Amino acid sequence: MNLFMVVIAVGVVLTALKWPFKTALFPMVIGITVFFMSFAELLLSLFGREERGKKQSAIDFKLSEDVDKAVALRRTLLTFGWIIGFFLFILFFGFSIAVPLFVFLYIKLYGKEKWVISVTMAVMSWFFFYGLFVWLLDTPFEEGLVLKVLKAIVIG
Amino acid sequence: METMKTMVDACIGGLLINLQLWPFIYMLIGCAIGFWVGILPGIGGGTTLALMMPFIYKMTPQEAFPFLLGMHSVVQTTGDITSVLFGIPGEATTVATIVDGFPMAKKGEAGRALGAVLMSSLIGALFGAAFLAFTIPIVRPLVLAFGSPEMFMLILLGLTCISTLSGHGKRGLLLGLMSGGFGFLCSLVGQDRQAGVLRFTFGQLYLWNGLSIIPVVIGLFAIPEIIDLAVRGTGIAGNVPFGKLGKGVKDGIKDTFRHFWLTIRCSLIGSLIGILPGLGGGVAQWVSYAHATQSAKTEEERAGFGKGDIRGVLGPGAANNSKEGAGLIPTVAFGIPGSSGMAVLMGAFFLLGIVPGPDMLTKHLTLTYSMVWTIVLANIIIVAVCLLFINHLANLTTIRGSLINPVVLLLCFIGAYTSNNDIGDLIVLMIFGGVGYFMVRFRWPRPPFILGFILGKLAETYLYSSTTRYGAAWLIRPKVIILFCIAAAFALYPFIQKRFRKADLGEPDKI
Repeated sequence: MNLFMVVIAVGVVLTALKWPFKTALFPMVIGITVFFMSFAELLLSLFGREERGKKQSAIDFKLSEDVDKAVALRRTLLTFGWIIGFFLFILFFGFSIAVPLFVFLYIKLYGKEKWVISVTMAVMSWFFFYGLFVWLLDTPFEEGLVLKVLKAIVIG
Repeated sequence: METMKTMVDACIGGLLINLQLWPFIYMLIGCAIGFWVGILPGIGGGTTLALMMPFIYKMTPQEAFPFLLGMHSVVQTTGDITSVLFGIPGEATTVATIVDGFPMAKKGEAGRALGAVLMSSLIGALFGAAFLAFTIPIVRPLVLAFGSPEMFMLILLGLTCISTLSGHGKRGLLLGLMSGGFGFLCSLVGQDRQAGVLRFTFGQLYLWNGLSIIPVVIGLFAIPEIIDLAVRGTGIAGNVPFGKLGKGVKDGIKDTFRHFWLTIRCSLIGSLIGILPGLGGGVAQWVSYAHATQSAKTEEERAGFGKGDIRGVLGPGAANNSKEGAGLIPTVAFGIPGSSGMAVLMGAFFLLGIVPGPDMLTKHLTLTYSMVWTIVLANIIIVAVCLLFINHLANLTTIRGSLINPVVLLLCFIGAYTSNNDIGDLIVLMIFGGVGYFMVRFRWPRPPFILGFILGKLAETYLYSSTTRYGAAWLIRPKVIILFCIAAAFALYPFIQKRFRKADLGEPDKI
């Protein structure tokens, strides 16, 4: 994370060098400050004392530690995979297909729930999405790439 | 004496307007809409106000304002419910409630957290309404005395909260400052307002207007919680038995009165920030959260914040509601909208043939007080309804993770998408979801990031406005110097407090 911040800060400062003074002032000042802080933190975490005990804990929630590390890693990667998968579903099929499809697949494959529960949840989520956002609020949702391509082929 | 009598008459007149049949029914409809708008992430009160505008064409002002304000004034209250139960901000102004509210829900104390947040929201809303009622005649010089230099110093004051919101110890402070700096850098994405140069847009039209706060906040706060929920493989409340969760509601309500002065102080913070155009609830909630953490008397007590301290729920709950009433003051009295929601509301004024400004304090004073009563009545009604159903709401946290996770994820994606209706919102959501996860993993505090992100662009705008208008002379304006001293005191307060505590305990200062 510290290395990531060092790289970001260097990138910000180098990019800002090309801009006029007023545009560059804030990115330069903040970028340089963040660079020095993250570099110091990087050095401290590499060579300094381990201080990340209770005293240094952030005012924020902590990830669960009572799950086996290997299981936690596998579940974390799987969840990230599902999140990216949902995004790809939306990108390719659009919201109206992706919503029930994702809910059904997640509950059935990941949750290993019964067919009835999986189908009911998928249908309910579609009704919620379509009823509220499309029918009532008239929110414009983009069509999926697959539908766009199919339409283009049909129209010719 | 005559003025006092006029005000009392107008106040009673305002209440009578609200208690008439149609205004009251419209207010109830507004409340019902506001309830769901608040619960659902992404759909903001301002957007819904805009969506409701076509419905007020045929209404009288006495019907339209209860309808619009009834909706707008309760979204923060119900937004807090989503924040507590699912760790997703119902509104951009209810993010701070997550920090301690959601850990309480995970510990099986959802009922207590909801009781506390609803009661503090009600107190905050009543405080804000009273603030609006009593300060309208006297607030004009205060608001007009705040130019861009003073606003810049106020933003600096807000940024000093980073020291309070950071972790404990020197390394914790360093991480907090880095997190705030990172948020500040992210706020600079988009077209620069001074020279029109595109900054960090990577050739994407989507980024020209900068990063929207909704996908950023949802990604940063909700995605790590969803991942943690999946890792635990249980419901939000772990293995706490069904039906036991609503039992803490009374304790939550009692907690509000146990920390009554904290709730009042946070309501005051919300009102003071709300009265100044341009800052809004995003800032008010974090400043009040920072203030709540300062109420911790020992190091151990302070370490409890972020892990489910009730004061971390009460502070933001009160502040984000109290700023609603106060936020109406510049709009109603001077025609200066303090936020996007208020700008839409000002449109409603013109649509109904009313010009906001001094007339609202003389000719339309009764209508102004009817707005005050709308805030009061709408919040009382919505809090009463929520308290009735609180057990059912709290029991949502016992639903299996495999069922709740896809629904929460669905809400996150739709919530993020509705901020710009662009697929880019989803990419931002996922990127910041990853950033949020690693921040939590490496113990980087997320609240300073949000504070830097909200205040970054404002700081830049007000600094350049001040310099363009006054040159360097703005630095020696008396109000600027006073605000700078307050900001310095606020930044140094945690260290001074710590030193005194150490002196009391006779502990050596460890480096």
